Amino acid sequence: MFEHFVSFTEMTTHAIFSAFRPPVRIKESFQQLYFVANQSLIIIVFCVCFAAMVTILESSFHMRLVVQNDSMVPGFAAMLILRELGAVVTALLLTSRVGAGIAAEVGLMQTTEQIDALKMLGIDPVQYLVLPRLFACIFGGMILTIVADLVCIYSAMLVSDMYLGFSPAMFISGMRRFVHFKDLIFSVIKGASFGVVIPLVSCHFGFRCKSGAEGVGLATTNSVVTSSIVIIIIDFVLSYLFTHF
Amino acid sequence: MMGVISDAGKVVIFFFRILGVWKRKSISSQLMFEQIWKVTMQSALTTGMAGFFVGAIMTIQFTMQMKDFGALGYLGGLATSTTIREVGPLLIAFMLAGKVGAFTSAELGTMRVTEQIDAIRCLGADPIQELVLPRFIAIVISSFFLLGLGLLLSIFGGILLGEVFSGVSFEEYLRHIPTIVSLPSILTGLFKCFIFAVVLAVICTYRGYTTTGGAKGVGLAVVKTAVGTMVTIVIADWVTSLLADITLRAVLGT
Repeated sequence: MFEHFVSFTEMTTHAIFSAFRPPVRIKESFQQLYFVANQSLIIIVFCVCFAAMVTILESSFHMRLVVQNDSMVPGFAAMLILRELGAVVTALLLTSRVGAGIAAEVGLMQTTEQIDALKMLGIDPVQYLVLPRLFACIFGGMILTIVADLVCIYSAMLVSDMYLGFSPAMFISGMRRFVHFKDLIFSVIKGASFGVVIPLVSCHFGFRCKSGAEGVGLATTNSVVTSSIVIIIIDFVLSYLFTHF
Repeated sequence: MMGVISDAGKVVIFFFRILGVWKRKSISSQLMFEQIWKVTMQSALTTGMAGFFVGAIMTIQFTMQMKDFGALGYLGGLATSTTIREVGPLLIAFMLAGKVGAFTSAELGTMRVTEQIDAIRCLGADPIQELVLPRFIAIVISSFFLLGLGLLLSIFGGILLGEVFSGVSFEEYLRHIPTIVSLPSILTGLFKCFIFAVVLAVICTYRGYTTTGGAKGVGLAVVKTAVGTMVTIVIADWVTSLLADITLRAVLGT
Protein backbone atom coordinates (compact mmCIF):
# COMPACT_ATOMS: atom_id res chain seq x y z
CA MET A 1 0.00 0.00 0.00
CA PHE A 2 2.64 2.48 1.12
CA GLU A 3 5.03 1.30 -1.56
CA HIS A 4 2.33 1.86 -4.18
CA PHE A 5 1.79 5.36 -2.87
CA VAL A 6 5.49 6.20 -3.04
CA SER A 7 5.99 4.97 -6.58
CA PHE A 8 2.74 6.62 -7.69
CA THR A 9 3.93 9.97 -6.32
CA GLU A 10 7.30 9.47 -7.94
CA MET A 11 5.72 8.80 -11.32
CA THR A 12 3.36 11.76 -11.00
CA THR A 13 6.11 14.25 -10.17
CA HIS A 14 8.21 12.83 -12.96
CA ALA A 15 5.30 13.32 -15.35
CA ILE A 16 4.74 16.90 -14.22
CA PHE A 17 8.40 17.86 -14.58
CA SER A 18 8.80 16.18 -17.93
CA ALA A 19 5.83 18.13 -19.23
CA PHE A 20 8.06 21.22 -19.43
CA ARG A 21 10.83 19.48 -21.29
CA PRO A 22 10.90 19.00 -25.06
CA PRO A 23 9.88 17.09 -27.12
CA VAL A 24 6.19 17.93 -27.00
CA ARG A 25 4.34 14.93 -28.41
CA ILE A 26 1.44 16.60 -30.14
CA LYS A 27 0.61 13.78 -32.54
CA GLU A 28 0.39 11.12 -29.82
CA SER A 29 -1.67 13.46 -27.66
CA PHE A 30 -4.28 13.94 -30.33
CA GLN A 31 -4.32 10.25 -31.14
CA GLN A 32 -5.08 9.60 -27.48
CA LEU A 33 -7.68 12.36 -27.43
CA TYR A 34 -9.39 10.63 -30.34
CA PHE A 35 -9.37 7.35 -28.41
CA VAL A 36 -10.63 8.95 -25.18
CA ALA A 37 -13.21 11.37 -26.49
CA ASN A 38 -14.46 10.24 -29.89
CA GLN A 39 -14.49 6.52 -29.35
CA SER A 40 -16.15 6.72 -25.92
CA LEU A 41 -18.73 9.26 -26.97
CA ILE A 42 -21.47 6.86 -28.04
CA ILE A 43 -21.27 4.68 -24.93
CA ILE A 44 -21.26 7.68 -22.63
CA VAL A 45 -24.14 9.45 -24.35
CA PHE A 46 -26.17 6.24 -24.32
CA CYS A 47 -25.59 5.44 -20.64
CA VAL A 48 -25.96 8.96 -19.37
CA CYS A 49 -29.27 9.24 -21.22
CA PHE A 50 -30.71 6.30 -19.29
CA ALA A 51 -29.26 7.53 -16.00
CA ALA A 52 -30.94 10.91 -16.47
CA MET A 53 -34.29 9.31 -17.23
CA VAL A 54 -34.12 7.30 -14.02
CA THR A 55 -33.08 10.35 -12.05
CA ILE A 56 -36.00 12.46 -13.14
CA LEU A 57 -38.51 9.67 -12.56
CA GLU A 58 -37.12 9.08 -9.08
CA SER A 59 -37.07 12.80 -8.23
CA SER A 60 -40.69 13.11 -9.21
CA PHE A 61 -41.54 10.08 -7.05
CA HIS A 62 -39.83 11.67 -4.03
CA MET A 63 -41.24 15.13 -4.54
CA ARG A 64 -44.77 13.75 -4.68
CA LEU A 65 -44.05 11.88 -1.47
CA VAL A 66 -42.66 14.85 0.45
CA VAL A 67 -44.28 18.04 -0.77
CA GLN A 68 -47.33 16.52 -2.50
CA ASN A 69 -46.63 18.26 -5.79
CA ASP A 70 -43.82 17.88 -8.26
CA SER A 71 -43.53 21.37 -9.70
CA MET A 72 -39.93 21.63 -8.49
CA VAL A 73 -38.85 18.43 -10.19
CA PRO A 74 -37.14 20.00 -13.24
CA GLY A 75 -35.06 22.27 -11.04
CA PHE A 76 -34.05 19.56 -8.62
CA ALA A 77 -33.30 17.01 -11.27
CA ALA A 78 -31.28 19.46 -13.36
CA MET A 79 -29.30 20.48 -10.31
CA LEU A 80 -28.57 16.87 -9.39
CA ILE A 81 -27.58 16.13 -12.98
CA LEU A 82 -25.21 19.07 -13.26
CA ARG A 83 -23.69 18.76 -9.82
CA GLU A 84 -23.29 15.00 -9.61
CA LEU A 85 -24.57 12.69 -12.25
CA GLY A 86 -23.09 14.14 -15.43
CA ALA A 87 -19.54 14.23 -14.20
CA VAL A 88 -19.49 11.09 -12.06
CA VAL A 89 -21.21 8.68 -14.42
CA THR A 90 -19.02 9.93 -17.27
CA ALA A 91 -15.90 9.48 -15.18
CA LEU A 92 -16.84 5.97 -14.05
CA LEU A 93 -17.55 4.94 -17.63
CA LEU A 94 -14.25 6.46 -18.75
CA THR A 95 -12.51 4.52 -16.01
CA SER A 96 -13.86 1.25 -17.26
CA ARG A 97 -13.24 1.97 -20.91
CA VAL A 98 -10.19 4.20 -21.10
CA GLY A 99 -8.59 3.43 -17.76
CA ALA A 100 -8.76 -0.32 -18.17
CA GLY A 101 -7.61 0.06 -21.78
CA ILE A 102 -4.57 2.11 -20.75
CA ALA A 103 -3.66 -0.32 -17.98
CA ALA A 104 -3.91 -3.30 -20.32
CA GLU A 105 -1.91 -1.54 -23.03
CA VAL A 106 0.88 -0.26 -20.80
CA GLY A 107 0.94 -3.52 -18.83
CA LEU A 108 1.34 -5.47 -22.03
CA MET A 109 4.17 -3.16 -23.10
CA GLN A 110 5.82 -3.78 -19.75
CA THR A 111 5.51 -7.57 -19.94
CA THR A 112 6.74 -7.71 -23.54
CA GLU A 113 9.70 -5.48 -22.57
CA GLN A 114 8.71 -2.71 -24.96
CA ILE A 115 9.18 -0.20 -22.17
CA ASP A 116 12.75 -1.35 -21.66
CA ALA A 117 13.20 -1.00 -25.41
CA LEU A 118 11.97 2.61 -25.19
CA LYS A 119 14.50 3.29 -22.44
CA MET A 120 17.25 1.77 -24.59
CA LEU A 121 16.32 4.17 -27.39
CA GLY A 122 16.75 7.05 -25.00
CA ILE A 123 13.03 7.84 -24.83
CA ASP A 124 11.60 8.62 -21.44
CA PRO A 125 8.69 6.16 -21.07
CA VAL A 126 6.81 8.41 -18.66
CA GLN A 127 6.99 11.32 -21.07
CA TYR A 128 6.19 9.15 -24.06
CA LEU A 129 3.31 7.16 -22.55
CA VAL A 130 1.86 9.04 -19.59
CA LEU A 131 1.84 12.66 -20.75
CA PRO A 132 -0.22 12.25 -23.97
CA ARG A 133 -2.74 10.15 -22.05
CA LEU A 134 -2.90 12.71 -19.27
CA PHE A 135 -3.53 15.51 -21.75
CA ALA A 136 -6.14 13.44 -23.57
CA CYS A 137 -7.99 12.42 -20.43
CA ILE A 138 -8.10 15.93 -18.97
CA PHE A 139 -9.41 17.50 -22.16
CA GLY A 140 -11.54 14.52 -23.07
CA GLY A 141 -12.99 14.46 -19.57
CA MET A 142 -13.94 18.13 -19.78
CA ILE A 143 -15.49 17.83 -23.22
CA LEU A 144 -17.33 14.62 -22.43
CA THR A 145 -18.67 16.07 -19.18
CA ILE A 146 -20.18 19.01 -21.04
CA VAL A 147 -21.70 16.69 -23.65
CA ALA A 148 -22.99 14.38 -20.93
CA ASP A 149 -24.60 17.27 -19.03
CA LEU A 150 -26.28 18.45 -22.20
CA VAL A 151 -27.57 15.00 -23.12
CA CYS A 152 -28.70 14.37 -19.56
CA ILE A 153 -30.75 17.53 -19.41
CA TYR A 154 -32.15 16.96 -22.86
CA SER A 155 -33.27 13.41 -22.10
CA ALA A 156 -34.66 14.49 -18.72
CA MET A 157 -36.65 17.14 -20.57
CA LEU A 158 -37.91 14.55 -23.02
CA VAL A 159 -39.03 12.17 -20.27
CA SER A 160 -40.68 14.91 -18.25
CA ASP A 161 -42.54 16.01 -21.35
CA MET A 162 -43.79 12.53 -22.18
CA TYR A 163 -44.22 10.97 -18.78
CA LEU A 164 -44.64 13.70 -16.16
CA GLY A 165 -46.45 16.31 -18.19
CA PHE A 166 -44.01 19.22 -18.11
CA SER A 167 -43.72 21.05 -21.39
CA PRO A 168 -40.13 21.89 -22.39
CA ALA A 169 -40.78 25.57 -21.66
CA MET A 170 -41.93 24.73 -18.14
CA PHE A 171 -38.89 22.51 -17.70
CA ILE A 172 -36.47 25.21 -18.75
CA SER A 173 -38.07 27.97 -16.73
CA GLY A 174 -38.20 25.66 -13.71
CA MET A 175 -34.59 24.77 -14.28
CA ARG A 176 -33.49 28.39 -14.46
CA ARG A 177 -34.59 29.01 -10.89
CA PHE A 178 -32.20 26.45 -9.46
CA VAL A 179 -29.36 26.06 -11.91
CA HIS A 180 -26.76 28.72 -12.51
CA PHE A 181 -23.88 28.95 -14.89
CA LYS A 182 -21.45 28.20 -12.08
CA ASP A 183 -22.95 24.72 -11.76
CA LEU A 184 -21.76 23.95 -15.27
CA ILE A 185 -18.30 25.28 -14.41
CA PHE A 186 -18.17 23.08 -11.31
CA SER A 187 -19.19 20.12 -13.40
CA VAL A 188 -16.37 20.77 -15.87
CA ILE A 189 -13.86 21.17 -13.03
CA LYS A 190 -14.99 17.81 -11.69
CA GLY A 191 -14.60 16.25 -15.12
CA ALA A 192 -11.06 17.60 -15.43
CA SER A 193 -10.03 16.37 -11.98
CA PHE A 194 -11.40 12.89 -12.69
CA GLY A 195 -9.50 13.04 -15.97
CA VAL A 196 -6.27 13.55 -14.04
CA VAL A 197 -6.90 10.50 -11.88
CA ILE A 198 -7.68 7.94 -14.58
CA PRO A 199 -4.48 7.91 -16.69
CA LEU A 200 -2.12 8.34 -13.75
CA VAL A 201 -3.57 5.42 -11.79
CA SER A 202 -3.85 3.21 -14.87
CA CYS A 203 -0.31 3.92 -16.03
CA HIS A 204 0.98 3.31 -12.51
CA PHE A 205 -0.54 -0.17 -12.43
CA GLY A 206 0.51 -0.76 -16.02
CA PHE A 207 4.17 0.02 -15.27
CA ARG A 208 4.15 -2.35 -12.29
CA CYS A 209 2.52 -5.16 -14.24
CA LYS A 210 3.96 -8.61 -13.65
CA SER A 211 4.62 -10.83 -16.62
CA GLY A 212 2.12 -13.32 -17.97
CA ALA A 213 -1.58 -13.30 -18.62
CA GLU A 214 -2.37 -13.21 -14.91
CA GLY A 215 -0.30 -10.07 -14.38
CA VAL A 216 -2.08 -8.13 -17.12
CA GLY A 217 -5.49 -9.13 -15.79
CA LEU A 218 -4.55 -8.14 -12.27
CA ALA A 219 -3.12 -4.78 -13.34
CA THR A 220 -6.29 -3.95 -15.27
CA THR A 221 -8.56 -4.95 -12.39
CA ASN A 222 -6.55 -3.00 -9.85
CA SER A 223 -6.51 0.11 -11.97
CA VAL A 224 -10.30 0.07 -12.45
CA VAL A 225 -10.97 -0.44 -8.74
CA THR A 226 -8.46 2.13 -7.53
CA SER A 227 -9.53 4.81 -9.99
CA SER A 228 -13.21 4.31 -9.18
CA ILE A 229 -12.62 4.63 -5.45
CA VAL A 230 -10.36 7.66 -5.90
CA ILE A 231 -12.96 9.25 -8.20
CA ILE A 232 -15.72 8.82 -5.62
CA ILE A 233 -13.53 10.24 -2.85
CA ILE A 234 -12.47 13.23 -4.99
CA ASP A 235 -16.11 13.76 -5.91
CA PHE A 236 -16.97 13.91 -2.22
CA VAL A 237 -14.21 16.42 -1.52
CA LEU A 238 -15.11 18.61 -4.49
CA SER A 239 -18.85 18.53 -3.68
CA TYR A 240 -17.98 19.62 -0.16
CA LEU A 241 -15.77 22.43 -1.44
CA PHE A 242 -18.27 23.65 -4.01
CA THR A 243 -20.99 24.09 -1.41
CA HIS A 244 -19.03 27.07 -0.09
CA PHE A 245 -19.43 29.00 -3.32
CA MET B 1 -23.72 -2.26 -33.98
CA MET B 2 -24.10 -5.83 -35.24
CA GLY B 3 -21.24 -6.80 -32.94
CA VAL B 4 -23.08 -5.48 -29.91
CA ILE B 5 -26.26 -7.35 -30.81
CA SER B 6 -24.45 -10.60 -31.48
CA ASP B 7 -22.54 -10.25 -28.19
CA ALA B 8 -25.80 -9.71 -26.35
CA GLY B 9 -27.22 -12.83 -27.93
CA LYS B 10 -24.16 -14.87 -27.02
CA VAL B 11 -24.36 -13.69 -23.42
CA VAL B 12 -28.00 -14.75 -23.19
CA ILE B 13 -27.19 -18.16 -24.68
CA PHE B 14 -24.34 -18.55 -22.20
CA PHE B 15 -26.72 -17.63 -19.37
CA PHE B 16 -29.13 -20.38 -20.37
CA ARG B 17 -26.22 -22.79 -20.70
CA ILE B 18 -25.21 -22.06 -17.12
CA LEU B 19 -28.80 -22.49 -15.96
CA GLY B 20 -29.03 -25.78 -17.84
CA VAL B 21 -25.89 -27.11 -16.21
CA TRP B 22 -27.19 -25.98 -12.84
CA LYS B 23 -30.43 -27.88 -13.35
CA ARG B 24 -28.91 -31.09 -14.63
CA LYS B 25 -25.73 -31.47 -12.62
CA SER B 26 -24.87 -31.30 -8.96
CA ILE B 27 -22.68 -28.51 -7.72
CA SER B 28 -19.96 -28.92 -5.16
CA SER B 29 -21.10 -26.80 -2.25
CA GLN B 30 -17.58 -26.56 -0.87
CA LEU B 31 -16.33 -24.90 -4.06
CA MET B 32 -19.28 -22.53 -3.98
CA PHE B 33 -18.85 -21.44 -0.38
CA GLU B 34 -15.13 -20.99 -0.96
CA GLN B 35 -15.92 -18.65 -3.83
CA ILE B 36 -18.57 -16.76 -1.86
CA TRP B 37 -16.13 -16.21 0.98
CA LYS B 38 -13.36 -15.16 -1.38
CA VAL B 39 -15.44 -12.69 -3.39
CA THR B 40 -17.10 -11.17 -0.33
CA MET B 41 -13.90 -10.73 1.64
CA GLN B 42 -12.02 -9.34 -1.33
CA SER B 43 -14.51 -6.62 -2.09
CA ALA B 44 -16.00 -5.78 1.30
CA LEU B 45 -13.60 -2.93 2.00
CA THR B 46 -13.90 -1.33 -1.45
CA THR B 47 -17.67 -1.58 -1.57
CA GLY B 48 -18.04 -0.31 1.98
CA MET B 49 -15.89 2.70 1.23
CA ALA B 50 -17.79 3.44 -1.97
CA GLY B 51 -21.11 3.17 -0.14
CA PHE B 52 -19.98 5.46 2.64
CA PHE B 53 -18.89 8.19 0.27
CA VAL B 54 -21.97 7.88 -1.91
CA GLY B 55 -24.17 8.43 1.13
CA ALA B 56 -22.07 11.39 2.16
CA ILE B 57 -22.25 12.97 -1.31
CA MET B 58 -26.02 12.54 -1.47
CA THR B 59 -26.42 14.23 1.91
CA ILE B 60 -24.34 17.20 0.79
CA GLN B 61 -26.36 17.59 -2.41
CA PHE B 62 -29.70 17.32 -0.66
CA THR B 63 -28.64 19.78 2.00
CA MET B 64 -27.97 22.32 -0.74
CA GLN B 65 -31.44 21.81 -2.16
CA MET B 66 -33.42 21.57 1.05
CA LYS B 67 -31.81 24.60 2.69
CA ASP B 68 -33.65 26.94 0.33
CA PHE B 69 -36.97 25.56 1.52
CA GLY B 70 -36.18 25.33 5.19
CA ALA B 71 -37.07 21.67 4.93
CA LEU B 72 -33.85 20.30 6.36
CA GLY B 73 -35.86 18.02 8.61
CA TYR B 74 -36.70 15.84 5.65
CA LEU B 75 -33.03 15.46 4.81
CA GLY B 76 -32.62 12.06 6.44
CA GLY B 77 -35.62 10.56 4.76
CA LEU B 78 -34.95 11.98 1.31
CA ALA B 79 -31.24 11.22 1.17
CA THR B 80 -31.78 7.68 2.46
CA SER B 81 -34.67 7.03 0.13
CA THR B 82 -32.79 8.25 -2.94
CA THR B 83 -29.72 6.27 -1.96
CA ILE B 84 -31.66 3.06 -1.41
CA ARG B 85 -33.85 3.32 -4.48
CA GLU B 86 -31.51 4.67 -7.07
CA VAL B 87 -28.05 6.06 -6.49
CA GLY B 88 -26.81 3.43 -4.05
CA PRO B 89 -27.45 0.34 -6.15
CA LEU B 90 -26.16 2.08 -9.29
CA LEU B 91 -22.87 3.42 -7.97
CA ILE B 92 -22.12 0.42 -5.77
CA ALA B 93 -22.85 -1.87 -8.70
CA PHE B 94 -20.38 0.17 -10.77
CA MET B 95 -17.81 -0.42 -8.09
CA LEU B 96 -18.57 -4.13 -8.01
CA ALA B 97 -18.33 -4.28 -11.80
CA GLY B 98 -14.80 -2.98 -11.48
CA LYS B 99 -13.83 -5.16 -8.57
CA VAL B 100 -15.63 -8.49 -8.76
CA GLY B 101 -16.45 -8.48 -12.47
CA ALA B 102 -13.02 -7.52 -13.72
CA PHE B 103 -11.31 -9.87 -11.28
CA THR B 104 -13.42 -12.87 -12.24
CA SER B 105 -13.03 -12.32 -15.95
CA ALA B 106 -9.27 -11.87 -15.51
CA GLU B 107 -9.09 -15.10 -13.51
CA LEU B 108 -11.18 -17.15 -15.94
CA GLY B 109 -9.43 -15.52 -18.90
CA THR B 110 -6.02 -16.46 -17.51
CA MET B 111 -7.22 -20.03 -17.06
CA ARG B 112 -8.46 -20.03 -20.65
CA VAL B 113 -5.31 -18.66 -22.28
CA THR B 114 -3.01 -20.89 -20.18
CA GLU B 115 -5.17 -23.81 -21.34
CA GLN B 116 -6.22 -24.82 -17.85
CA ILE B 117 -9.83 -24.94 -18.99
CA ASP B 118 -8.90 -27.36 -21.79
CA ALA B 119 -7.00 -29.41 -19.20
CA ILE B 120 -10.13 -29.69 -17.08
CA ARG B 121 -12.07 -30.85 -20.11
CA CYS B 122 -9.33 -33.40 -20.86
CA LEU B 123 -9.74 -34.80 -17.36
CA GLY B 124 -13.35 -35.53 -18.23
CA ALA B 125 -14.89 -32.77 -16.15
CA ASP B 126 -17.23 -30.06 -17.37
CA PRO B 127 -15.50 -26.66 -17.03
CA ILE B 128 -18.84 -24.89 -16.77
CA GLN B 129 -19.83 -27.10 -13.87
CA GLU B 130 -16.45 -26.90 -12.14
CA LEU B 131 -15.41 -23.30 -12.78
CA VAL B 132 -18.18 -21.12 -14.13
CA LEU B 133 -21.17 -22.26 -12.10
CA PRO B 134 -19.60 -21.87 -8.62
CA ARG B 135 -18.35 -18.44 -9.58
CA PHE B 136 -21.68 -17.44 -11.07
CA ILE B 137 -23.65 -18.40 -7.96
CA ALA B 138 -20.99 -16.95 -5.68
CA ILE B 139 -21.02 -13.63 -7.49
CA VAL B 140 -24.81 -13.39 -7.41
CA ILE B 141 -24.98 -14.19 -3.69
CA SER B 142 -22.05 -12.12 -2.58
CA SER B 143 -22.93 -9.14 -4.79
CA PHE B 144 -26.24 -9.17 -3.02
CA PHE B 145 -24.48 -9.13 0.36
CA LEU B 146 -22.02 -6.48 -0.76
CA LEU B 147 -24.71 -4.20 -2.15
CA GLY B 148 -26.56 -4.56 1.13
CA LEU B 149 -23.40 -3.68 3.03
CA GLY B 150 -22.80 -0.69 0.77
CA LEU B 151 -26.35 0.58 1.28
CA LEU B 152 -26.04 0.24 5.07
CA LEU B 153 -22.77 2.13 5.07
CA SER B 154 -24.24 4.79 2.80
CA ILE B 155 -26.91 5.44 5.43
CA PHE B 156 -24.13 5.69 7.98
CA GLY B 157 -22.22 8.15 5.79
CA GLY B 158 -25.38 10.19 5.37
CA ILE B 159 -25.92 10.33 9.13
CA LEU B 160 -22.33 11.41 9.74
CA LEU B 161 -22.39 14.18 7.14
CA GLY B 162 -25.85 15.26 8.28
CA GLU B 163 -24.41 15.75 11.74
CA VAL B 164 -21.17 17.41 10.66
CA PHE B 165 -22.12 19.35 7.54
CA SER B 166 -25.78 20.25 7.64
CA GLY B 167 -26.36 20.35 11.38
CA VAL B 168 -29.11 17.74 11.43
CA SER B 169 -28.71 15.64 14.55
CA PHE B 170 -28.74 11.91 14.00
CA GLU B 171 -31.98 11.48 15.95
CA GLU B 172 -33.66 13.91 13.61
CA TYR B 173 -32.05 12.19 10.64
CA LEU B 174 -33.17 8.73 11.70
CA ARG B 175 -36.64 9.86 12.77
CA HIS B 176 -37.58 10.87 9.23
CA ILE B 177 -36.29 7.73 7.56
CA PRO B 178 -39.36 5.57 8.31
CA THR B 179 -41.77 8.30 7.20
CA ILE B 180 -40.33 8.43 3.68
CA VAL B 181 -38.61 5.12 3.13
CA SER B 182 -41.41 2.65 2.63
CA LEU B 183 -41.34 -1.09 2.13
CA PRO B 184 -41.79 -0.80 -1.65
CA SER B 185 -38.69 1.42 -1.81
CA ILE B 186 -36.61 -1.14 0.03
CA LEU B 187 -38.00 -3.91 -2.16
CA THR B 188 -37.17 -1.89 -5.26
CA GLY B 189 -33.61 -1.45 -4.00
CA LEU B 190 -33.23 -5.14 -3.27
CA PHE B 191 -34.74 -6.10 -6.61
CA LYS B 192 -32.28 -3.81 -8.35
CA CYS B 193 -29.42 -5.35 -6.38
CA PHE B 194 -30.49 -8.82 -7.50
CA ILE B 195 -30.81 -7.87 -11.17
CA PHE B 196 -27.43 -6.09 -11.16
CA ALA B 197 -25.82 -9.09 -9.49
CA VAL B 198 -27.13 -11.50 -12.14
CA VAL B 199 -26.12 -9.20 -15.00
CA LEU B 200 -22.65 -8.77 -13.55
CA ALA B 201 -22.18 -12.49 -12.98
CA VAL B 202 -23.26 -13.51 -16.49
CA ILE B 203 -21.20 -10.94 -18.36
CA CYS B 204 -17.98 -11.41 -16.43
CA THR B 205 -18.05 -15.21 -16.58
CA TYR B 206 -18.90 -15.10 -20.29
CA ARG B 207 -16.08 -12.68 -21.10
CA GLY B 208 -13.59 -14.67 -19.06
CA TYR B 209 -14.67 -18.02 -20.46
CA THR B 210 -14.42 -16.90 -24.09
CA THR B 211 -11.06 -15.11 -23.85
CA THR B 212 -8.64 -15.71 -26.71
CA GLY B 213 -5.13 -14.65 -27.52
CA GLY B 214 -2.62 -14.55 -24.69
CA ALA B 215 -1.95 -11.74 -22.24
CA LYS B 216 -3.35 -9.16 -24.64
CA GLY B 217 -6.60 -11.10 -24.82
CA VAL B 218 -6.91 -11.14 -21.05
CA GLY B 219 -6.48 -7.37 -20.91
CA LEU B 220 -9.05 -6.95 -23.65
CA ALA B 221 -11.48 -9.28 -21.88
CA VAL B 222 -11.24 -7.23 -18.70
CA VAL B 223 -11.85 -3.98 -20.57
CA LYS B 224 -14.83 -5.48 -22.36
CA THR B 225 -16.22 -6.83 -19.09
CA ALA B 226 -15.96 -3.48 -17.37
CA VAL B 227 -17.59 -1.57 -20.23
CA GLY B 228 -20.26 -4.19 -20.89
CA THR B 229 -21.32 -4.55 -17.28
CA MET B 230 -21.54 -0.81 -16.74
CA VAL B 231 -23.63 -0.19 -19.85
CA THR B 232 -25.93 -3.10 -19.06
CA ILE B 233 -26.27 -2.02 -15.45
CA VAL B 234 -27.37 1.47 -16.48
CA ILE B 235 -29.97 0.03 -18.86
CA ALA B 236 -31.12 -2.52 -16.28
CA ASP B 237 -31.44 0.31 -13.78
CA TRP B 238 -33.84 2.15 -16.05
CA VAL B 239 -35.85 -0.97 -16.85
CA THR B 240 -36.20 -2.00 -13.20
CA SER B 241 -37.16 1.53 -12.18
CA LEU B 242 -39.86 1.57 -14.81
CA LEU B 243 -41.08 -1.92 -13.90
CA ALA B 244 -41.13 -1.08 -10.20
CA ASP B 245 -43.03 2.13 -10.92
CA ILE B 246 -45.62 0.36 -13.04
CA THR B 247 -46.04 -2.43 -10.50
CA LEU B 248 -46.43 0.02 -7.65
CA ARG B 249 -49.03 1.99 -9.55
CA ALA B 250 -50.92 -1.17 -10.35
CA VAL B 251 -50.74 -2.48 -6.78
CA LEU B 252 -51.53 0.77 -5.01
CA GLY B 253 -54.08 1.76 -7.61
CA THR B 254 -52.96 5.37 -7.98
